[in-house]
Amino acid sequence: MTTYHDPCNYARKSERAFGHGYYEEPRWVTQQCCENFVDMYPNRANNFCCGAGGGAWASPYVEERIYYGRTKAKQIKDTGAKLLIAPCHNCRDQIMKSLRKEYDFMDVEVKYLWELVADSLIIEPREEESE
Amino acid sequence: MEPLLLTKREKRKLASQYADLCLTCGTCAGGCPVTGVDGLDVRKCVRLALLGMDQEVIDSKFPWVCTLCGRCEHACPMNIDLLALLRSARGKRAREQVPGVLHKGVEQCLKSGNNVGIPKEDFLFLLEDLGVELAEELPGFEVPVDKKGAKYLFTINSKEPFGEPEDMMFWWRILYAAKESWTTTSENWEGVNWGLFTGDDESMKEIVGRIVKNYKDLECEYLVLPE
Repeated sequence: MTTYHDPCNYARKSERAFGHGYYEEPRWVTQQCCENFVDMYPNRANNFCCGAGGGAWASPYVEERIYYGRTKAKQIKDTGAKLLIAPCHNCRDQIMKSLRKEYDFMDVEVKYLWELVADSLIIEPREEESE
Repeated sequence: MEPLLLTKREKRKLASQYADLCLTCGTCAGGCPVTGVDGLDVRKCVRLALLGMDQEVIDSKFPWVCTLCGRCEHACPMNIDLLALLRSARGKRAREQVPGVLHKGVEQCLKSGNNVGIPKEDFLFLLEDLGVELAEELPGFEVPVDKKGAKYLFTINSKEPFGEPEDMMFWWRILYAAKESWTTTSENWEGVNWGLFTGDDESMKEIVGRIVKNYKDLECEYLVLPE
């Protein structure tokens, strides 16, 4: 089973800044690659931040960053999914490199959205084309 | 603490056009995972700003522990621009008091064109080297650099060439499979703008401007910031 994390910037903040939140597009892409999809709760505009946004991944307040991530960790674990798609560098690093260890869900694999697409492709090698 | 004379209140330092509309309902703080850290929360920051105690917010670590995720702002029944307020508290810090490496990254980006200071020749060597490696699997693949008229211009998150170079290949595989015309640049390719996080509008604008210049000079159709 696969779940999807809405990064604040693509989702809620994009909706506010540009009038369109990218909620459905990444879910569509994910579901083209994975059969069994489950959403976290809450999701889309009400999704919880991973805890590492706004530069927190690079900040010295490590304890606070991990504490922040507890809500995200619970949301993920509650889905029962074993693959999580996180289409943002910060979110992916926070969840994959920190929260999985801190909140004990190392059995959940984390991928970028474009990593999932790249891994799903069966690429036909291109014939050498003449320019 | 000095008694506060509201009649002699300084002009508010923190940015927020609408903070005085706050109904003090606490919806913002109620849904925030870091409410209470450092004794503060979003609602209290608004109160402090309204009372002219802006400096307390600026000196607190709360605006830095907050991730500017915008959940509070989304929920606010009065539609107060809470992120503008919190981010402006970051911007009002003296630059040498910006926590951690964020401001150093901004300075490095202004100087070298990327947050971690990768020299141009090392960057180009890495792209070529990885391109050759991928071409073993995908014949004819190469990494196009400064290619004029390419459809897509890609910026790069410096953490990848710095620490996880093979992760750049995910996009490259997709672009190869889609037979798309794309390019990246030899200079000012950094896609991560830490001025956004440090409240430093001037640096942020300079860094964005350099990317836009690349985009215009190379006459690309789309600009992609896969960040």
